[in-house]
Amino acid sequence: MEFLEQAFESLVGGVYTTLVDPTIYSLGLMSWAERAFDATAFFVGGLLQVIATAALCLPLERVAPAQTISDQRHVRTDVLFTFANKVGLFPLFAFAALWVLFKPFESWLRLQGVTPWSLEDLWPALAGMPGLSLLFYIVILDLAGYWLHRAQHQLNWWWQLHALHHAQRDMTFWTDDRNHIADELLSAFWMAMVALAIGVPPQQFPLLLFATKFMESLSHANIRWNFGPLKYLLVSPQFHRVHHAISIGHEGQHRGVNFAVVFSFWDKLFATADFRDSYPATGVADQLHGRHYGDGFWETQWLGFVRLKQYFRSR
Amino acid sequence: MHIASLLRALAAALLLQAVSCSSALAIEPGERVIVLNSGEGTVSVIDRATRKVVNSYPVGKEPHHLMPVLNKDDELVVANSASNDLVFLNSLTGEVKRRLSRISDPYQLAYSPDGKWFVSVSLRLDRVDIYAMPNYELKARIATKKTPSHVAFSADSSIAYITLQDSDELVALDLNSQKESWRMKIGKTPAGIWMSPQGLLFIGIMGQDFVQVVDPAKRETVKKLVTGRGAHNVFPMGDGTRALVSNRVDGTITPIDYKALTVGKPIKVGRGVDCMEVSADGKEVWATVRWEAKVAVIDMTGAKPIEYIPVGRSPHGIYFKSHARRDR
Repeated sequence: MEFLEQAFESLVGGVYTTLVDPTIYSLGLMSWAERAFDATAFFVGGLLQVIATAALCLPLERVAPAQTISDQRHVRTDVLFTFANKVGLFPLFAFAALWVLFKPFESWLRLQGVTPWSLEDLWPALAGMPGLSLLFYIVILDLAGYWLHRAQHQLNWWWQLHALHHAQRDMTFWTDDRNHIADELLSAFWMAMVALAIGVPPQQFPLLLFATKFMESLSHANIRWNFGPLKYLLVSPQFHRVHHAISIGHEGQHRGVNFAVVFSFWDKLFATADFRDSYPATGVADQLHGRHYGDGFWETQWLGFVRLKQYFRSR
Repeated sequence: MHIASLLRALAAALLLQAVSCSSALAIEPGERVIVLNSGEGTVSVIDRATRKVVNSYPVGKEPHHLMPVLNKDDELVVANSASNDLVFLNSLTGEVKRRLSRISDPYQLAYSPDGKWFVSVSLRLDRVDIYAMPNYELKARIATKKTPSHVAFSADSSIAYITLQDSDELVALDLNSQKESWRMKIGKTPAGIWMSPQGLLFIGIMGQDFVQVVDPAKRETVKKLVTGRGAHNVFPMGDGTRALVSNRVDGTITPIDYKALTVGKPIKVGRGVDCMEVSADGKEVWATVRWEAKVAVIDMTGAKPIEYIPVGRSPHGIYFKSHARRDR
């Protein structure tokens, strides 16, 4: 484990000092050195994550597929989404937008004497147990993710954007990153607000963070796998496929079921769980009536804005 | 043959003992080097004599800088910027003694020479907080121009001089009135700052390749000392003549003569070289090499690194107890 972490640090350091550091120096952006170093780790980590997730999920999707892929071009679009999200411009854009929107607000708060609380303030011993602390943060952020996800479905205007994620009828592990940029921004803003309220999680355990992100990708995988008894703890590919199912996931009871991101017990707790053991077809119901959500990357983004505009015009 | 081997081993052991004794002259028994790994929120504790990491533990989120607590030789204070707290360590062994919470985003920190003030600089949120000692009682929060970075004081403790990275400025804050006194442009992305006994400020101009020498009394620049790309921190060697400048982009440390205002030959150390600690005899310098997750031990007599010690991610502040004087 230590060897893996050291190899990762060497790789990040090598990329940063060879490519990024001289570039930001020549651009006069040395003040951003620390953030740029973190961003390098994020992108290198993202690339490694894509490789590792693909290495694990691709064979599983071949061995036990939940559905037959109707058109490989649909999957290729999601591959593009994945690279845009994990190693591309999406996070940079989200970071820049958050910086512009959030920093003046946080600076103002601090000037008024408001210092945000963190979990470690409530339970000081956590500061000395970063593993446990990170676990708490993961659980709370996952709870925040659950309610965010419910809002994406139950607020009609937000659904116009989030529908893009659900309009994939050939769902694979690549679909995890198939999102509208405005949906991503709203989600990032929400999670930043939560982080401001509870503090930021410790960063000592990149492999644990990697594992949670891997779980999110795995939940979308085209695999017949329900995790057995673990399905009551973790979101399995089968459980999440029900969330994506036509006329069940969004259009069914509660305006959707199985909203959880990593831990499935949130759905049980808030009475939105559907533990049926089936692998229904995925998509949005109006696709059956001919609604088009776009094929290529840019078309899907454009049509998201069109749907949003139509929604507000119709009100 | 066995006896010969035994004798060789004995000779080697004696030689090792002699070497460690000679190098131990400037080291207190049990002395540890304390390194803040800002990227992963841990402290690496290194045995200074053997140069081995003997302990590593979590200290908080984004610990960047540390310094001895004023008038408490046995205590260090660590600023955890993302945890909004200060942690106090045993300065010899690195053990955690206590934690002071609700200190908003402390990035860089310093005590005024008269012991009256504690100044905490919030790089991320464009703010400087002034606390009255000895109880860390908040006296003022001062909004500044962009990205306040490092701090130095006037000899009479009336003024705190702070670099403003993204404004390319130096700001003087009057500690008694707790108001901005004046500001001046000094170069692209200024960072580290040190006040010499002659009353001149030496400021690492990180966006360029020089140290800007400023006379704060006249509010004018005196000279540019070209040291290397990404000139960042300035640490005195304690000999009343020399200071060291870390150049982050070139990965070098350059000695300067702060009296004659001349520049020595740079020493290649590693990319992202940042904070330094100088041994009391001036023969050894330890420096954090941030982008390589290492600490470099530099022999100043031979002017070269003699050892690299792997530590945690993005190591930043570094300290050991028997260090050179910081005021000259």
